[in-house]
Amino acid sequence: MGKGGAGKSVIAGTMARLMARRGTRVLALDSDPLPGLSLSLGSGPEPAEPLLGNAAEQDENGHWGWKRGVGPVRAVQRYATDAPDGVRLVQIGKPSREGFGPIIGSSKAFYEVVHHIADAKALRGWTFVGDLPAGPRQAAYDWAPYAHTYVVVAQPTAQSALTARRVARIVRMHRGDAQLVFIANRVSEKADVDHVEQLIGEPVFASLPADDGVAAAERLGVAPIDHAPDSPAITAIERLVSALAKL
Amino acid sequence: MKIAVAGKGGAGKTTVSGTIARGLAQAGHPVLALDADANPMLGVSLGVGAEQTDLLLAVRQGLETGEVEHEPTIEGMVERFGADAPDGVRLVVASRLEVANPGCQCCGVSPDQLLRELEDGERTVVCDLEAGVSTIVRMEPGNADVVLVVANPTGKALEVARRAVEIASDKAEVIVLANRVRDDSDLELMRAVLGDRELIVIPEDPVIAAADRDGLAPIDLDPGSPGVAALVQLADRLAGAPVPA
Repeated sequence: MGKGGAGKSVIAGTMARLMARRGTRVLALDSDPLPGLSLSLGSGPEPAEPLLGNAAEQDENGHWGWKRGVGPVRAVQRYATDAPDGVRLVQIGKPSREGFGPIIGSSKAFYEVVHHIADAKALRGWTFVGDLPAGPRQAAYDWAPYAHTYVVVAQPTAQSALTARRVARIVRMHRGDAQLVFIANRVSEKADVDHVEQLIGEPVFASLPADDGVAAAERLGVAPIDHAPDSPAITAIERLVSALAKL
Repeated sequence: MKIAVAGKGGAGKTTVSGTIARGLAQAGHPVLALDADANPMLGVSLGVGAEQTDLLLAVRQGLETGEVEHEPTIEGMVERFGADAPDGVRLVVASRLEVANPGCQCCGVSPDQLLRELEDGERTVVCDLEAGVSTIVRMEPGNADVVLVVANPTGKALEVARRAVEIASDKAEVIVLANRVRDDSDLELMRAVLGDRELIVIPEDPVIAAADRDGLAPIDLDPGSPGVAALVQLADRLAGAPVPA
């Protein structure tokens, strides 16, 4: 979670790939109606019609429900797409010129999925990595009830840190049982970390360096882990994955 | 005139909104700066400070907890959920609330409704929208006179900008800002996605970066820096443009 542009998708996508390389089964959940996670994961731009929409249908009264024989787990098994390193990706869908109409089905299905995956027997042992929409609104409790750990990303700017503070307040209000860690992203020097900590008023769990390789990947809209695999930021995210595993 | 500002989160919407609002006000126009972002930050780039900006959000959210009385009219909202920013800009926080009374003007109102129903009169309304395209998807023609789409030279921000332009084009005059441009290759990258329409270039500016870092208004730090100057110039152009009937 975090402000737009803080680096949520890059961190989520790279963490998912690195975890999968370590042999973890990873389901990446993109609940952001803006493009991001699929590019950072390296699975390219997403299809115009979100596949998950195929799992839902409207009855004669206009109420949405699962298609016959489909439920949250079956929907994931059938309609998740393959990303590199064996990561599976589910997307809520993106609005277009036609508005939100074409993605209502997939949004409803996605909402059911995020509320049921944590208890699903068939997905026991899987790790879920969610990329949430920018800002504090809704995100914490509604769109990531599966989360044990909330990773809040801030770069060393006042707005970014202020957003992290707002996010933390909401997460703690609604998910007091979950872990919450702050990440300082795009850090050039120690003073940047101090700046973030001072603005948030709490210590950061890890910091990730400002990185030309990641910036170049972002410019091109490709996965940083493929474009600049040995860059300092990717190495730092690798350490972050290890540190989170020990929590 | 009503100006709405859209783009990917982090593209610079708030900096653009705040600086244009201040630029218009400095040129003598009455300005209403409307923060419709669910994560309201417009106060920061207008120069009221991060803490004061957070306080305004807290007042707004007081509606949810019942600590703050509801407000039946939109003009009342302007009075109650706002603050005076430098140069006489009136800042109003109108971000969407989690728990809203349906039909209540002050909390059930969505950003697109707000834009529609607010009378601009003599004022210039500058509205900082939620990140992404959700508000412009719901907007109807005439809700705003101008939509400023803020783009950056990155794959994701350009994709959002491309969609925003496509969605807003039937509804308002669309002006695209190429923000944080360092060199010609940045512009080429942007043209490759956005086509050869006019791009207002806002150069990468260390003054804006420094203001972002410390939560200050760029226009207070150095009104003559290249990025700020380009935004003030755009404000002048917008003020001079005839308002569509």
